[in-house]
Amino acid sequence: MKRRDFLKFIGIGGVGAGAGFVLGKVSKPPGAKLIPYLIPPEDIIPGVATWYASVCTLCGAGCGTLVRVMEGRAKKVEGNPGHPINRGGLCALGQSSVQALYNPDRITKPLKRKGPRGSGEYAEITWDEALKTLAANLIELKSKNESEKFHLLTSPLGGTIDRLAGEFVSAFGSSNYSHYGLFQRKNLAFANLSTMGTASIPHYDIENTKYLLSFGADFSSTWVSPVNYSNGYGKMRQGTGERGKLVQVEPRLSLTGANADEWVPAKPGTEALLALAIANTIVEKGLARDASAWRGVLSRYKAKDMASICDVPVERIEAMAVEFARTRPSLAIAGDSVSSYENGISGAIAVNILNQVAGNIGVIGGVMPNGDDLGNGKKIDFGRKISTLISAANADKIKTLIVYGANPVFTTPKAARLEEALSKVPFIASFSSFMDETTAHADIILPAHTSLEDWGDDFPDPGVAAPVASIIQPVVSPVFETKSLGDIFIELARAVGGNVAGKITAPNFAEYLKASWKGLYSRNREMAAGTLGFEDFWNKALQRGGWWGPSRKMTATVSARAGEHLTGAPARFEGEEAQYPFYLIPYAQTAYMDGRGANLPWLQELPDPMTSVVWGTWVEINPKTAASLGLKEGDMVNIESPFGKISAPVYLYPGIRPDTVAVPIGQGHSHYGRYAKGRGANPIEILPYKEDPLSGEAALNSTRVRITRGATGERLVKMEGSTKEFGRGIVQTVSPSEFKRMKKEVV
Amino acid sequence: MKKLILYAVVGGIAFVIGYFVNDQFFSDRAPVQPINFSHKIHAGDNQIPCQYCHIYAERSRVSGVPNVKRCMGCHQIIKTDSPEIQKVASYWDKKEPIPWVKVYNLPDHVYFPHKRHVRAGVDCKNCHGDVASMARIEKVSSLQMGWCLSCHTKREVKNGHDCWTCHK
Repeated sequence: MKRRDFLKFIGIGGVGAGAGFVLGKVSKPPGAKLIPYLIPPEDIIPGVATWYASVCTLCGAGCGTLVRVMEGRAKKVEGNPGHPINRGGLCALGQSSVQALYNPDRITKPLKRKGPRGSGEYAEITWDEALKTLAANLIELKSKNESEKFHLLTSPLGGTIDRLAGEFVSAFGSSNYSHYGLFQRKNLAFANLSTMGTASIPHYDIENTKYLLSFGADFSSTWVSPVNYSNGYGKMRQGTGERGKLVQVEPRLSLTGANADEWVPAKPGTEALLALAIANTIVEKGLARDASAWRGVLSRYKAKDMASICDVPVERIEAMAVEFARTRPSLAIAGDSVSSYENGISGAIAVNILNQVAGNIGVIGGVMPNGDDLGNGKKIDFGRKISTLISAANADKIKTLIVYGANPVFTTPKAARLEEALSKVPFIASFSSFMDETTAHADIILPAHTSLEDWGDDFPDPGVAAPVASIIQPVVSPVFETKSLGDIFIELARAVGGNVAGKITAPNFAEYLKASWKGLYSRNREMAAGTLGFEDFWNKALQRGGWWGPSRKMTATVSARAGEHLTGAPARFEGEEAQYPFYLIPYAQTAYMDGRGANLPWLQELPDPMTSVVWGTWVEINPKTAASLGLKEGDMVNIESPFGKISAPVYLYPGIRPDTVAVPIGQGHSHYGRYAKGRGANPIEILPYKEDPLSGEAALNSTRVRITRGATGERLVKMEGSTKEFGRGIVQTVSPSEFKRMKKEVV
Repeated sequence: MKKLILYAVVGGIAFVIGYFVNDQFFSDRAPVQPINFSHKIHAGDNQIPCQYCHIYAERSRVSGVPNVKRCMGCHQIIKTDSPEIQKVASYWDKKEPIPWVKVYNLPDHVYFPHKRHVRAGVDCKNCHGDVASMARIEKVSSLQMGWCLSCHTKREVKNGHDCWTCHK
């Protein structure tokens, strides 16, 4: 070796060793510290988890939860196995509630608007200033005798917090307290009111039924109470007794449709007629159990006439009718493909009539009305619509608006012109914890806790044909400078003074809630059974997650008067067929729901169960249609209705009618945090605003669209490679009859 | 080209050696603590049992760093004239926890419960050495996997060699 090379090696060796030494030094945890407690909390052992029972509030179903808390921090949310609604299950949305708690885009302090409305520019203020500013505004309104010009708009709250909010509004001298949610199922509730006398959703006993006919109810992912229904569905399929059959009627195959034995893709807007044709066939064949009131009405819906309108062969309608009537018990449920049209009430009534004719109401395995909500259920006021709010704002009848939880700016079509109406409201306050599209219009923001930090209660609707009362308890100390929603109302009442302060005297919401439960306890003898007074009952209820009573069998009959709401015609879609050849079906996606889940990264990265797409919006098009348009998967297209245009990449989906396209709801946010903002498109934007005059629900399936090739843009990101097996026999199948034979041989 | 590879190999070997030299000989095994706390006085001379201060050892994954209230429980009365105790008292007066420096550290992918070991009758000494004679606490074990396994082998721990016993 030359001297030169030797020196080089020495040099390189030295540098290498030095680098290694330095890396070793810096890669060590820099001065890891052991920080002890100053005074140890008695109920905390570091490293040992504590589980608290509470309720998930991410949708309205009211599933009981158990939250794992370590060292005062919520780590994991699971379903409460003892809770009658979800029986231990919890959906993806509920699992993600910890990400709502720790979300980096939460509003951490009260804010006051700095820039122009909608700009999202805010300055931080103190709670004291925020409450004083809002109270001063309200006091001024009152002094001018304009109390009626105060409006409160919230998500569909129920239970004690709903009562407190109502008390606040009425003590102030206003009657304008309304609830709003995209999926309030008001059409269904109205149909039940006019047919069975209660404005609520009954308990569908999926668990015990043997033939389930679902009209577009995607109950295994988003519809009404998905965890409860999925649990029941599992038992219907694989519980004791014979396996039940599921038939799904919908133009776009949902997750529930994909699980069904039969998929009936009737023409969009005609599903209600199909239900009536099935009912009529049952009557005509002499299989009806209770048809006295309906014979005349139903005779107009002959299967052979409806077959061509619905695009379902007459033999199939007849076979469904016979099977539905002969299989005991059977059950039909009115989901989105009857109730989300402009004549949704008519559609939901049609399904009720079908159940009545087949004798499915008030029986196990059928429709079981929920008679008892302990007087605390979510009351639906059909008169309070978004259109009422819009016209009031336009007529200068709203001076101060407080919004909580509801995000109507995102979930109403552009055609409703809500944003324009909001700009005419002089003062808007929001109690939201996140900067959603509606909160972005606020002048002042008083952020409330998320459900893991707050007190509350829940009386699930629909229930399980038994009284259920659950308690929401704070499982962690507030992470930021937010306040309990109830405390905001109470402190605001105190700041406003006068008879508002006189009416709401509770020191804080926790006390208010407890007093409310004390009243409930004294009224309800079943609650008192087996407890040593109220304190004992309260502690046990906190431990268990609430109180639930024994099942109560309720029955109802479908009133013949309901027939007056039947329209008897297919639902109309806006746009001429020649110009706009495709029906648009916007649907609730498992993770995003009405858009509320889009700010939680776990939900964004959760592959959609049918398409496996993540982090974006897509449009589902039948491969045949796509071929005729010359489109392939991933191509960016414009989806244009008479009311607007959005763009999304194409996903080839064989589970959709060739004359229909579907787009998931939930993306396309212009605010709502870093994970949601500027991602995908919002199909609600391009809908007409067709609000039902009776129920106040806006129709989602209401327009036709045309598809044109768009500029290249967003990429379609999906987990699946291909939907085909290429003859490799990866999924082995066996037909039900064959399976039955095999089973017999084994036995 | 051949030479370049040779240089890279020599450099790489030197890098690894440098890393381990730092790790084995230059890491601080007995770091200076914010309070000159002596285990010798407490556990040695005065024979205070370990779990009098490390209260969670039998109930949790972690043994627990003594909370400041525990220190003050005795030192409100005992040795209040010592400057080190006055430091403790000043933390207590400021309502601030004492920022002790960590001596024993396990990476996040190792699940080590004190509870299991204490309940199985493993003496604290086995891993932490003769603490009762240490004026300043000093790391005496490598805490490397081989070291764990040698003890699991010696004591014939059930499932003691299963990956999932510690990496879960």
